[in-house]
Amino acid sequence: MKGMFKKLFPVGVFAKVSLNRYRRDPLALFFTVVFPLIFLFIFGGLFGSGGGVSFRVALINQSNSDFANNFVQQAKDSKVLKVDSGINNLDSAKEKMKRSELDAAIVLPAGFGATNGKAYPNGQAQVVYTQNNQQAGQTLVTVLDGEFKGVNAKFVSTDVPFTVVGEQTNDQSLKQFDYTFSGLLGFSLIGLCIFGPVNVFPELKRQGVLRRISTTPIKVWQYFMSNVASQVVIGLGAVLVQFLVATFLFHLNLVGNVLELAFFITLSIIMLLGIGLAIGGWAKNARQAAPLSNLVVFPMMFLSGTFFPRFLMPEWLQNVSAFLPLTPVIDGIRLIATEGKHLIDLGPQLGLIGIWLVVVYFVAFRVFRWE
Amino acid sequence: MKDILKVSDLTKSYGGKQVVKGISFSVKQGEIFGILGPNGAGKTTTLEMIETIRPIDGGQAILNGIDVSKNPQKIKYIIGVQPQTPAFQDKTKLKELIEMFASAYGEKVNAAEFLADVGLTEKADSFVETLSGGQRQRFSIAAALVHSPKVFFMDEPTTGLDPQARRNLWDLVEEIRKKGITVILTTHYLEEAEVLCDRVAIMDDGKIIALDTPKNLVKQLLAKGFKKKQVVEQASLEDVFIDLTGKALRD
Repeated sequence: MKGMFKKLFPVGVFAKVSLNRYRRDPLALFFTVVFPLIFLFIFGGLFGSGGGVSFRVALINQSNSDFANNFVQQAKDSKVLKVDSGINNLDSAKEKMKRSELDAAIVLPAGFGATNGKAYPNGQAQVVYTQNNQQAGQTLVTVLDGEFKGVNAKFVSTDVPFTVVGEQTNDQSLKQFDYTFSGLLGFSLIGLCIFGPVNVFPELKRQGVLRRISTTPIKVWQYFMSNVASQVVIGLGAVLVQFLVATFLFHLNLVGNVLELAFFITLSIIMLLGIGLAIGGWAKNARQAAPLSNLVVFPMMFLSGTFFPRFLMPEWLQNVSAFLPLTPVIDGIRLIATEGKHLIDLGPQLGLIGIWLVVVYFVAFRVFRWE
Repeated sequence: MKDILKVSDLTKSYGGKQVVKGISFSVKQGEIFGILGPNGAGKTTTLEMIETIRPIDGGQAILNGIDVSKNPQKIKYIIGVQPQTPAFQDKTKLKELIEMFASAYGEKVNAAEFLADVGLTEKADSFVETLSGGQRQRFSIAAALVHSPKVFFMDEPTTGLDPQARRNLWDLVEEIRKKGITVILTTHYLEEAEVLCDRVAIMDDGKIIALDTPKNLVKQLLAKGFKKKQVVEQASLEDVFIDLTGKALRD
């Protein structure tokens, strides 16, 4: 017991010093904390605003009836329609639709909304859309059709034998942002755990810093462990900042147990850091480290669900990418944080991380060199 | 005095080229032993083999009764190492580095004491990258002695230092010897070897070609009938320089 404590003593001192060193390094702070936040703001801005559907439309009103004017006003206030008020004729609307700047144009023809000799206002609105925007166009037709049915019922009472009504359940489904967030978190962990050591170790070797350390009795495992300890502290801090920003600015819905999440992320950091230690510990210089780290990181970045969900990939690719080290990390974080699952439910993810943990540290210890 | 280091028939090759060609020598406990030689003579490689940094190809080095290649971990605890270009991680305070190196030997030390020994008390909270060349060498010495080693290896400790810093370092080496630590250093400054070393080995092309006290080596040369072309002055240009600029450290 006392012997073990003695062996852990240098681990603690080295970790403490490297945390101090990190604190004094603005560039490292930037890349671990600020840089992931930039991505968070970009994606949070994309998906964060309510997540509802809206259409960009031009509204061309050729009628001067009260009903038509009223319709235009309501459309402008509507959340579903984003009316481009700069357009007042169909030709310029078509021009913009060609460039996909508009989803569709709604045309209210002359006389729309006037009584036209009948007892109540009437008319037919037109939804114009291009071939490429069929889906948006048709949805818009359906939406307007529903609106008009409601209006119609006020003027002409009809008996409707069959109706259908949609009911929203109380279960909250995943918002797009919730889905993206775990991917972004995975992305930031890669930066921290892989690009960190891959950049730092070859530089320390070049300066001879590691060589000097190698003349002391410290063992590789002790040196690794001090790195792991300090990176876990830094990583959890960086992740915490991202969670706070995501929760308070982008309304991330964190439903899982925070301690379980912290445990899972700690385990993930240790595993991913093993990849960084293996590459950085092996490489003699930056020229060796850079291509290898890109080779390892890029497939994970694109296939593990960092920027877009894996379920959008073809099935064979999903099957392959399921085994990448980062995939169980991202899945696990999402399952705990946004779906409220527990560690007990995460057998496959924990198992896969465990296997990678053994593999990467086995490699890291074998290939490490002090200079 | 007993031998603390015994090297016999040591060899080392890089890519088929032998750079250390079977050298043998021994170092007495408490002496300052110099390995003298031009660049590329194999001084650093010899040192690094004894320091356990490089594997020994052939031959044997016994340090304090321990075989270096059989028990490198034990050797590390009893030697202090100052590499040719001392490198320490940046953005780290000197006192933190001292604590770090001591911890690697399982020791908890008062960093201020070690920094005071080398005249760096005021720099305890500075980062290593802010030090001058001479300060860096002195700090490197402090870092190498945190675990009170028996033998201290210094690889060209004064290369690149100005005369003031060099003389200061000589004093420091004398201090270290007074503590009972054996010092083994390499240099290519001849007057450094003459002033500092009890015995020197002259190395060239991977071999030791002479080994004795500096005085005896000169005597042997004179005995061969050697005469300098110029009459030896009682002072050298360096003496003039030191006289004009003073002995005070400039960093």
